[in-house]
Amino acid sequence: MNVFPRWMNALRVLAGASVLAAGVYVVALFAYGGSPKTINAGFSPEQPVPFSHALHAGELGLDCRYCHTTVEIAARAAIPPTETCMNCHLRIRTQSELLKPVFDSWASGEPVHWKRVHDLPDYVYFDHSAHVTRGVGCVTCHGRIDTMERVRQEQPLSMGWCLDCHRNPAPNLRPPEFATAMDWQPERPAAEVGAEIMQQRHLKPSTDCSTCHR
Amino acid sequence: MSSLIREPSDVSRRRFLQVMGASMALASASGCHWETEEILPFQRRPEGRVPGTTRRFATSIECSGVAASLLVTSYDGRPIKIEGNPLHPLDRGAASARSQAAILDLYDPDHSRGLVQAFEGASYPRSWKEFDPWFAGHMAQVRARKGAGLRILSEPSSSLALASLRTRLAELHPQARWVEWEPCARTNKIAGSKLAFGRALRVQPRIEQVNTLVCLDADLFGLHPAALANARAFAARRRPEEAQPLRLWVVESSLSLTGAAADQRLALRDEQILPFLLALEARLAGGKAADGLFLESLADELLAQRGAALIAVGPRQPAAVHALAHRINANLGNTGKTLLYSEESDPAGVMELGELAREMEAGAVETLVVLGGNPVYDAPCELEFRRALRHVPLALHLSHYRDETSRACTWHLPRAHALESWGDCASWDGTRCLQQPLIDPIFPRRTPLELLGAICEAKLGAPELVRACVAPGASDEQWKKILHDGFVEGSAARPVEAALASFSVPAPAPRALAKELRNGELELVFAPDRNLYDGRSANNSWLQETPDAITKMTWGNAAIFAAETAAALGVEDSTLVKLKLGTRELEVAATVLPGQATGSITLHLGHGRSAAGLVGGLEQENIETVGFDAYRLRSSDALDRAGSLEVMPTGKSWQLARTTDPAVTDSIGRKQMEGLVEELARVRTLADFRKEPGSERESEHESLWNKPVAEGVRWGMAIDLNSCIGCNACALACQAENNVPVVGREQVIRGREMSWIRIDRYFTGPERSPRVRFQPLTCQHCESAPCEEVCPVAATMHSAEGLNDMVYNRCIGTRYCANNCPFKVRRFNYFNYHKAIEAEGAEVQRMLYNPEVTIRHRGVMEKCTFCVQRIQAAKIHAKNEGRAPADGEIVTACQQTCPTQAIVFGDLADPKSRVARLHAESRGYAMLAELNIGPRTTYLEKLVNPHPALEEHDG
Repeated sequence: MNVFPRWMNALRVLAGASVLAAGVYVVALFAYGGSPKTINAGFSPEQPVPFSHALHAGELGLDCRYCHTTVEIAARAAIPPTETCMNCHLRIRTQSELLKPVFDSWASGEPVHWKRVHDLPDYVYFDHSAHVTRGVGCVTCHGRIDTMERVRQEQPLSMGWCLDCHRNPAPNLRPPEFATAMDWQPERPAAEVGAEIMQQRHLKPSTDCSTCHR
Repeated sequence: MSSLIREPSDVSRRRFLQVMGASMALASASGCHWETEEILPFQRRPEGRVPGTTRRFATSIECSGVAASLLVTSYDGRPIKIEGNPLHPLDRGAASARSQAAILDLYDPDHSRGLVQAFEGASYPRSWKEFDPWFAGHMAQVRARKGAGLRILSEPSSSLALASLRTRLAELHPQARWVEWEPCARTNKIAGSKLAFGRALRVQPRIEQVNTLVCLDADLFGLHPAALANARAFAARRRPEEAQPLRLWVVESSLSLTGAAADQRLALRDEQILPFLLALEARLAGGKAADGLFLESLADELLAQRGAALIAVGPRQPAAVHALAHRINANLGNTGKTLLYSEESDPAGVMELGELAREMEAGAVETLVVLGGNPVYDAPCELEFRRALRHVPLALHLSHYRDETSRACTWHLPRAHALESWGDCASWDGTRCLQQPLIDPIFPRRTPLELLGAICEAKLGAPELVRACVAPGASDEQWKKILHDGFVEGSAARPVEAALASFSVPAPAPRALAKELRNGELELVFAPDRNLYDGRSANNSWLQETPDAITKMTWGNAAIFAAETAAALGVEDSTLVKLKLGTRELEVAATVLPGQATGSITLHLGHGRSAAGLVGGLEQENIETVGFDAYRLRSSDALDRAGSLEVMPTGKSWQLARTTDPAVTDSIGRKQMEGLVEELARVRTLADFRKEPGSERESEHESLWNKPVAEGVRWGMAIDLNSCIGCNACALACQAENNVPVVGREQVIRGREMSWIRIDRYFTGPERSPRVRFQPLTCQHCESAPCEEVCPVAATMHSAEGLNDMVYNRCIGTRYCANNCPFKVRRFNYFNYHKAIEAEGAEVQRMLYNPEVTIRHRGVMEKCTFCVQRIQAAKIHAKNEGRAPADGEIVTACQQTCPTQAIVFGDLADPKSRVARLHAESRGYAMLAELNIGPRTTYLEKLVNPHPALEEHDG
């Protein structure tokens, strides 16, 4: 005795297929939604002061190191103290409403509360000086900061992304004197230039766990 | 059968776990960015300050009136690690375990944060704002009475600034009196020099000149105020290439660090040291002593080594023993060569605690200011200091903790930590050391200088006063140098001529020589604890959990019995016994230890605190006290030892939290263990070594594993067992550097302690005069590491430079690696031991941690990394300058602080490096070489130098 009509057989296949598809969909959704590319790249929080890198680094042409003074000697590039802003803003735009947090900080001694854009997990020990002095340009990890009105995280900053470069650094290397140059372009193929630099400077980036994790 | 053999499947176990791990992670990811952090830059960045880097400042810390010169690392303005000051002539970069642990006190939540006033049985929090005007008014009244009824009770201090305030106090309050109390003072030493020379003198040992060193109950390398310098000089004189290596003779009642390093050791009851020395003097003077081979051989050697010998006496011995030693040293021509004398501060004119207590009882004290110290806990028991305090209408206690004394006083005033204070103190050689703050007081706390300054209306603030006292008339340039160095260069005390007075020491009454192991004729010796000292460090969990160098006991103390004594009295290890001195009784745990003199029982002070804090015990909040309070038996007439002790076993058992099992008791087990120990921690006599310098080395075996191809740098370590004195400084250095957690007594009993460096201690030879061997054990970073082969998730990996890396994020806690580690150096986080810092309001505790090292969570394995953070920092720094790190540029934390320089780290691939040369030395051997795992740490054999006549006799 058949309770179910024959066409139900097709439905059974369809149901199986859709369960399978749903599974694939869910996995794909989480894979996409959880990947650092989705989560982190493009992150661009609003800052207490709408500081424009496009204006300062781009139009005015300030070198990165004018503000980020410790990038060549320490792990942190260092967000500049209020005093650095005031070097100019004691005279320029002294009445600007937008600069109020800076002026307040200058008057009170309290820090400006900047939002961190490029945030590595606490168990990752990244060192700016180790990269900048070897010839990894700022732009390689941070993108064209000189065109950004509001700083945006350009790269995923994931472990896989770090390792890509540690395994094959040549395409991302440049003479260290151009490290802060935003618009530097190699005259020959990048990999060729990089390979030369690696040879000259005995660069052999490590992929050992303890290089970044301690 | 075939079903038991698994075919390799397509999905490996590792891959499966990877996939599983990934899907779990995705399930929890919600596709949004994690919490945004804030960056708070300075308004104005101080010159030379680089965010996220460390700076180091020289300062000092005082204990018992003697300074330890320190170099303190500060990260973004918060002190995180204490090291020794490398410029200081005595300390030379080393710091004792206790000095290093002081950093923990700075952030201790129990470290007092505010004033407390006791009023009619209740206590009320107060502020300085309330206190200051009221106190000023009160002091004005006291001053009108010329200071009548004002007493200041202080710990002895070498501070010039404090002394200048004291002078001012005497002018302002002529009727006030100054009282000094310290439970472990140098009273006997001073009395001894007064007997011998008529004045207070201090002995400056010059061990580098000594060929025969005789220590009579003198712990020159452990508790001596210049122990670091002594140990360093000793280790230098023990190198096998020394033409005339030093021979160390020790006579003592209980094993000390010095006794553990001895070539010839005699366990004698404390009270028999005086007769021993009298006999020795008689024998040296040409008399015949029939007191045995030991004394005979020692006397012969002393006579042969005139001018190159040194007899040192410990602070527990009575004045007569000190005086006798001075006389023997002078008669042998040692004075001026192996020891110098310098001025010692003479406490004459200072009131004694007993007198103060009587005045208090009589109601003659109206205002008592207690500057530091903890007399309610550590004063002689018959003074009943707590009761005496009830008769004082106003008692103020300035202290780091709200301790026993604070709770018995009317006011508790919070005292600033040494790292928050301006001050000065002098090291053992008299070098004037500066104390400068690395951080403003985290809570409103004050220093004794500030409080005393308020009492005597000082015109200068503490920093100005310190400058005026330490460097009067110094230019700004000179002052800057002192601030930089941390001490005044060339300020060591000048040696003085000491003219021997004539005196005679009567031989003690025969009763004192009683040898029967009978109740009432036993002696009880009070010794400061090697970790907690007199009890001031009882709330320091690092020190509580660091195993005692000899007993390997953590979290508590026990009365130490010799096996013979224990057997005669029916006492067993790990039981409770009742100690009875006259009418006073105390129930304590008992332990049996080799090397203890028969009839002598040693009990360490500093335990059993009832108001130390959440770590050391706090009765009021039902926090159990740790250990047993020996002060309850300690009276003024027997501060060092009591001679009429009765011991009664109670039959109750008591678990001791030891990190090493008690010695195997049956002879078969013992024999087997001794064979193993010979292999692991090797010792040979110097004579044997000179005959045949080569040590047994395992031949190379074939390995089934692919040995990693060694290219470039190969990190390695060498540990010289000949230099190691087991002092625990390395253990504390590692704890502070690597954020090593503390697990508590219960977990230690379960064998779950977390220390990354463990100092194994072995006893071999006869029970009465054992040979002690120390062996610091860290991860050996094996070339084919057994731990790596068994990790299912690749959480422990080999780096190209030979480091055995531990990847905490990968670790799933199977603990296979720890099972497979033959050295047992891997530690597992059974709990989240750092939980306390995650709590709300734990901001201050969080400041302690070294940000360069990950804090490990529950369920994760951890172990020594060879201080990989220091390796990376040095590598990056060197490469930024376009060079490779030089040999000696990378210094691990344990190596940095080792007073005897027993630990050397470096690149084995560079044949000129120090570590490579040590690896090649004939004394070098690898532990468990038969396993063929290629440990990167090489141990260097210990060489002992026993007296030829006693070698057979003593084993």
